Amino acid sequence: MPLNSFVRENGEITVTSGDRLTIETAADFSRVVRESLDASHVVAIEFEPAVEIDITGLQVLCSACRSAAQTGKIFTYHGPFPQALANIITSSGAERSTICKHNNNSTCIWFGGAS
Amino acid sequence: MMEQAIATYREEAGELLAELETSLLDLEETPDDNDLINRVFRAMHTIKGSGAMFGFDEIAGFTHEVETVFDMVRNGKMTVTKPLLDLTLKSRDHIFYLLNIPTGEEVDRSEGDEIIAGLRQLVPKSDLPQKGSSDVPAIDLPNLSGDDLANECTWRIRFRPIPSILMCGTNPISLINELRELGTAHVVAQFEDIPTLDELVPENCHIYWDIILTTTRGEDAIKDVFIFVEDDCELKIELIDSSGLIDREQGYKKLGDILVERGDLSPVEMQKVLMLQKRFGELLVEQGIVSPEKVQSALIEQQHVKSVRKERSEAPPQEAAASIRVPAERLDQLINLVGEMVTVQAHLSQVSMAGGDSTFIAISEEVERLTNELRDTALNIRMLPIGSTFSKFKRLVRDLSNELGKEIEMETFGAETELDKTVIEKLNDPLVHIIRNSIDHGIEMPETRRAAGKPSTGIVYLGAEHSGDSVLITIRDNGAGLDRDAIRAKAIERGLLSATAEVSDREIYAQIFAPGFSTAAKVTSVSGRGVGMDVVKRGIEGLRGSISVDSVRGTGTTITLKIPLTLAIIDSLLVKIGKDHFVLPLAAIEECVELTREDIKNSHGRNLANVRGAIIPYIPLRQHFCIKDARPEIEQIVIADIHGTKVGFVVDHVVGEHQTVIKSLGKMYRDVKGVSGATILGDGTVALILDMGVLLQSIEQLEHSEV
Repeated sequence: MPLNSFVRENGEITVTSGDRLTIETAADFSRVVRESLDASHVVAIEFEPAVEIDITGLQVLCSACRSAAQTGKIFTYHGPFPQALANIITSSGAERSTICKHNNNSTCIWFGGAS
Repeated sequence: MMEQAIATYREEAGELLAELETSLLDLEETPDDNDLINRVFRAMHTIKGSGAMFGFDEIAGFTHEVETVFDMVRNGKMTVTKPLLDLTLKSRDHIFYLLNIPTGEEVDRSEGDEIIAGLRQLVPKSDLPQKGSSDVPAIDLPNLSGDDLANECTWRIRFRPIPSILMCGTNPISLINELRELGTAHVVAQFEDIPTLDELVPENCHIYWDIILTTTRGEDAIKDVFIFVEDDCELKIELIDSSGLIDREQGYKKLGDILVERGDLSPVEMQKVLMLQKRFGELLVEQGIVSPEKVQSALIEQQHVKSVRKERSEAPPQEAAASIRVPAERLDQLINLVGEMVTVQAHLSQVSMAGGDSTFIAISEEVERLTNELRDTALNIRMLPIGSTFSKFKRLVRDLSNELGKEIEMETFGAETELDKTVIEKLNDPLVHIIRNSIDHGIEMPETRRAAGKPSTGIVYLGAEHSGDSVLITIRDNGAGLDRDAIRAKAIERGLLSATAEVSDREIYAQIFAPGFSTAAKVTSVSGRGVGMDVVKRGIEGLRGSISVDSVRGTGTTITLKIPLTLAIIDSLLVKIGKDHFVLPLAAIEECVELTREDIKNSHGRNLANVRGAIIPYIPLRQHFCIKDARPEIEQIVIADIHGTKVGFVVDHVVGEHQTVIKSLGKMYRDVKGVSGATILGDGTVALILDMGVLLQSIEQLEHSEV
């Protein structure tokens, strides 16, 4: 499914990742997530299993998490955690086992354990 | 101390230049070989780094330029081409010149400037360095810069790329992965600068990295990883632990100290938090002084270094360096002392035997055994693979063939063959001369070769192999071969051969070693003056070696050098004529037989002995050396194999095997033929060492001239 968003019955917005969350699509991805967070209390990402992710994709996820925490909203994901995301978390040294002050001092669901 | 370091640098740089030359010549054959490209880069990098360290600023500055170009090759921005290799080889020569320029002498920069200009022309315009690149590069702590370190060090690296780095196509993770290849790395991506979505510029890089790296590679190797982003990032590299420099205790700095060192926490803040007596990291986070990420990063550093130190302390003690550098003079001194010891041991054996005391004899034999072992070990220390000189000749072939417009390749074999260091050094000039001759006179021009049905590329083979206590060095070319008739005619014209004499091909070819002998119609810059082959022969004979030539017209020429493994101590046969002792090298000796008065009578004055049915010619040494003492009833013939011919040398008595410490004769005796040196015997008397090959030759020549 291409990069897109749709509203579920419970009001949650699901953003589908499309094939790439890379520098070429980072601006679109960021915009879709921002608009979704503006519109809904809960935003979830649904990743394509073979999605390609680079640092910019990683940054958008972190930035969205902060934005959601600041406004008391929830930014999460549905479905399996993609292997590409797990890989880039490991290779970039993004793994976190501590709380994140930008995430209301909660542990990070994104980088606090990739698997 | 500094002088010693400079001398070591000169020595090491010389070795690196030899390695550089070999790699460049190999690269010419396989231009895509990344290993070779890296080897070239590393050699230049080390010459540059160490050069700057020891005050060789000219070398550092110049090498920096060449290294920069090769870095582009290394990174795929340039390809290896012939002009690039030509210029890099010239660079090698220029560095060699700079390395050996006497102190105080003005440096001639014209060659270097020309090379740099040439290299710059090869560099794609967009990649020309913008900075003042002729500056001598900054070098850090002497023992930590450079590519490789003796000790394992741990480095703290903070890599903060500029925001637009991703848009230039650089992937920071690739750089981090390169760092990981250098050793053990812990990487922490720092996200604190990532803004909320409202402010996020998605294509920018908002992350920076803290890396703790334990590696044996030096700071330069780490900097090399970032060489293409050095203007696009903030890079901080700090040494935080070393197995050789810093304390070896298992623990490591406290968390607060690490954060203060990193600049993430001020000392005042640290003291304030410490007063609260809680876990330091938690307190820092609780109070919002330091972000959890930074604390985690510092904790990772603490854990990393602790575990590295623990491993180090648990590891078995490291073995001493596998090799050490010893000045050649010290080795020569060692050999001299061993030589003296061998002489004294011979004296001891003699005295013990004369005394007849069995205990004394047993001790003497034990000393003899140990001395032999010591001798062999000491001689072995000086053995070097001859291949170290082969690369020089490859370069010679490359340059000369270019100069003469010929297509010539060099093939080598037996590079691992070991020879005494002194022998290798002394072989250089003769080999250069022979190879130059092969290139100039042997290998034909490409069109001539094609017309003769040969491939246009000629080949010069250079090989070495062991043969008993000698090494055979073969120089073979597949060129035109020697012109037997022209050599014979010239030899007759010069009175070296009689017009009517029946001589073998080998004897005719041997004429090329006569002083001033040349059949070349024209003199080139390379050879043809007839000066040289006689010098070559003298050089080889000076090494107690021999030289022989074989050639087939139209097919090529083979020159074989037979060189003794060592020049210092040889196994020999001690003989006596009258009151005088002589030494014959044992390697060529096959047997000793008796020569009675009756045998002499039966040969009717023809100096021929019948040894088990074989007729062996012999040389009565008593007669040759004009020794007038009374002749014994039964003499001894020492039969030797000289170039495949069995020849006897008649002596009064064979004393026995002897370890001969070779002492060279003074200048006055330089032209005495057949005597290659002298040795001191156990009782202090001097014995001449006979060169049986030369002795035979000089007697043959004498007989020819009498005919």
